[in-house]
Amino acid sequence: MLALAVPLLAGCQPPHPAGELVVASRSSLESVDPVDVTTFAGTQLLSALGDPLYASDASGRLQPRLATALPRFSGGGLVARISLRQDVRFQDGSRFDAAAMVFSLQRFLALAKVSYLLDGRVASVAASGPFELELRLKRPCASLAAVLSSINLTPVSPRAYRAHGRRSLRDRFVGTGPYRLAAFTPQQQRLLPFAGYWGAPPSNRGLSLVTLSNSTALFGALLSGEVDVLLSSGLDSDQQKDLHRRAGRGSLVEGIGPAVEIGYLTLRSDQPPLANPDLRRALAYGLDRRLINERVSYGMRDPLRSLVPAPLPGSEPPSWPAYDPARARALFRKAGYCQAQGPGRSRRLSLPLSFRSNVPADRLFALTWQAQLQRDLGDCISLEITGIESTTAYRQLGAGAFPLILLDWSGDYPDANAYLQPLLGCGRAQGNRCLAGDSAASGSFWTAPGLEAELAALESERGQARQQRVTRIQERVAAASPYLPVWRVPPRAWAQPWLATPQFDGSGRLVLQALHRRPQAGGPQAGGLQAGGAQTGRPGAVAARGASAPAASLPPAQGSTAPAADPRPQVPARSGVTP
Amino acid sequence: MSRRRQLLAYLASRLVLLPVMLWLIASLVFLLLRVAPGDPIDALLGTRAPEAARIALRHQLGLDQPLASQYGHYLWDLLHGQLGTSLTNQESVLSVIGRSLPASLELGVLALVIAAVLGLAVGFSGIARPEGRLDLAGRLYGIGTYALPPFWAAMVVQLVFAVWLGWLPVGGRFPATLVPPSGTGFYLLDSLRSGSWSQFSASLRHLVLPAATLGVLLSGIFDNALRLNLRRALGSDYVEAARSRGLSETRVVLRHALPNALLPVLTITGITVASLIGGALLIEVTFSWPGIAFRLQEAIGQRDYPVVQGIVVVVAALVVAVGVAVDLLVALLDPRIKF
Repeated sequence: MLALAVPLLAGCQPPHPAGELVVASRSSLESVDPVDVTTFAGTQLLSALGDPLYASDASGRLQPRLATALPRFSGGGLVARISLRQDVRFQDGSRFDAAAMVFSLQRFLALAKVSYLLDGRVASVAASGPFELELRLKRPCASLAAVLSSINLTPVSPRAYRAHGRRSLRDRFVGTGPYRLAAFTPQQQRLLPFAGYWGAPPSNRGLSLVTLSNSTALFGALLSGEVDVLLSSGLDSDQQKDLHRRAGRGSLVEGIGPAVEIGYLTLRSDQPPLANPDLRRALAYGLDRRLINERVSYGMRDPLRSLVPAPLPGSEPPSWPAYDPARARALFRKAGYCQAQGPGRSRRLSLPLSFRSNVPADRLFALTWQAQLQRDLGDCISLEITGIESTTAYRQLGAGAFPLILLDWSGDYPDANAYLQPLLGCGRAQGNRCLAGDSAASGSFWTAPGLEAELAALESERGQARQQRVTRIQERVAAASPYLPVWRVPPRAWAQPWLATPQFDGSGRLVLQALHRRPQAGGPQAGGLQAGGAQTGRPGAVAARGASAPAASLPPAQGSTAPAADPRPQVPARSGVTP
Repeated sequence: MSRRRQLLAYLASRLVLLPVMLWLIASLVFLLLRVAPGDPIDALLGTRAPEAARIALRHQLGLDQPLASQYGHYLWDLLHGQLGTSLTNQESVLSVIGRSLPASLELGVLALVIAAVLGLAVGFSGIARPEGRLDLAGRLYGIGTYALPPFWAAMVVQLVFAVWLGWLPVGGRFPATLVPPSGTGFYLLDSLRSGSWSQFSASLRHLVLPAATLGVLLSGIFDNALRLNLRRALGSDYVEAARSRGLSETRVVLRHALPNALLPVLTITGITVASLIGGALLIEVTFSWPGIAFRLQEAIGQRDYPVVQGIVVVVAALVVAVGVAVDLLVALLDPRIKF
């Protein structure tokens, strides 16, 4: 049957609409409503359908989008006023103004699963003018613009959403972004350019975002030409490495964005054996990040020695120590380990290391670090590794179930405090032991006298002073080592060779509206290009780390000059899959 | 008691037992989900949210109510045909099932047809010369397809036909750039009804690889079942009697042995159909087929209690219904069967 069906059907490939691109990733999407979205796939889609008040570019700089300037603070830093653009319309034709923004923020506060983004900071939201927003804050918030850059806070049309009261709209979206949502299913979304967009129009004629549920299918779909662009999230390391090599050979193009995701170890600091700071420091010195990153991710992740990832201010200089087995051994000895206990025997620390069994990289990390410690410090420590499903691990984290566990974290907004507060915040403490608060919920239970005040001070400082405080806080944490940063995970995207290098914004999201065909590039029809094979008339592979988005993706603030001409290149129609 | 009355009594007893069975299954799933580690808040927010936000979301989703109260609400809704709403996006569970069950059934039906045709053909092929080469090859085929790990076979098929040859799509149910047919949720049927060849061929192109893979993997069961039962039937007294009456071997096999050998195959078909209603998880996941098993797996990962409960209850009801239908069919075809 297959033999009969395949030749017949292979010739019946559906037409690919001219200029539309197919972008694939692993995560399906249950809802497109900003109040429901909690996943990276959701924010990726929202970033094409809506605009935040502010956005960070790939270098980490915040720029106004629907706002015209950064917030103006008054009343001792407790009142923030934000001027809004006046030339913006929603996709249903209604006008964007301060009232619409108030509606959207109040809806977010009432319904959103991640409403904590605002409700810990904002006491009330009001329109102080037709195009001016007034936020009354519960406490000073220097990172307010960064918080407001969260795409979950994108405005939605009051006309479209008011009728739905306190319910979310899972399969429709009416916002202000460069695309409108033409079709939605959890596995596929179709985006078409919004003709009334206030900024530069998208560089393509539309997009289809598709979900393929396993890494092999994603990998295969890019190589077969079934998809045009592939996002790295959810893709196995060896397949990422293969795509990276292909990009090096010129059969694909690769874009690399700024890392917002970090991987780190949490050490339970209030219970033996890791209540002993010497042992925690010994582990910090005993972690060979370079080797681990080579073995686990083939060098596709970056070793990390700070909790705040680059390019955010405060990420440099690294506060955690570099790999130094001699110093690790000395600290283990000081704690009473590596000591001879008879011929050929020594006292070894046996330490359980937990990892999320459903995250392949975590398993590889555990195995690699176990072997590395066995090789370098085998007479001092042995790791007993245990896998545990991620949701179960999260549930037990706050109960202190894990002496040592590998986790990851992505800041909710591009600011140092989005990495420090969730790991270090502590509402109630006893000495260095955090009894309640973020640190306890994160499983380390560590705090230090005055640390909470330092974290609070971050919100009232700006510029150099703030950066110095971030460094100071990290040095304090590194000295106690209740957490060990391991790696940062730069997002990557691979595209067919006839496309320009994919660009990322400062939140690590692919700038979908910037995807376009390279000038002079051939295509499946024009140039006979074949994915994974040789092609004619194209330059070598482009691999741009932290490449910033072009004007099409980050429109200028009101008053500045917008590109006058439509930069949209003509992407050739494809007849279907390229074998 | 007459045979007709026996059958009616059997049907009535099953219909009476059905609600009890569903209540037991629903209660068991409800309890097991709550006993299992992890909860929806952790699945939704991971480690990212502060404790106050977690408490607020727990309240918003009604998960802070006492377990007895949650159970009471759940049963009350179930009695009224309501399966609740998803915790992740507030979508009605009935709508979730309505979207994914047709996908699984469409895949399952085509896979079953392929499995039955292929398995029975292979099983029947060796009967002319038992222990011959063809028979041996058929046996090897049966064992091989039965023993192949589905995810591995599916990945190989994917690599060969979709990646290397590029003949068919890697996964999914419909091309991203086309509008899927609307109606019953069975895309082949809907596209035929609307008379759209492009939609029909697009649906079929996506269906071929998963259905063929699943069909080939299941065909070994039919192959082995037919082979064993046919051999047993050919050695039975009534076949010997038929031969002694001078009937041709073809007539003996087709008219006397085969119908009897197919009765157990019918039971196996029923069991296979029942298992396919619940979806072929590994095939659906590998081919990104948005069926009921795929959705159930996602819901379990998200600890989306209402979706898991709803899918299990609906699938259990369908499995029971198919089981009863197959029992009745076998009883109608085989007068020797008593209840």
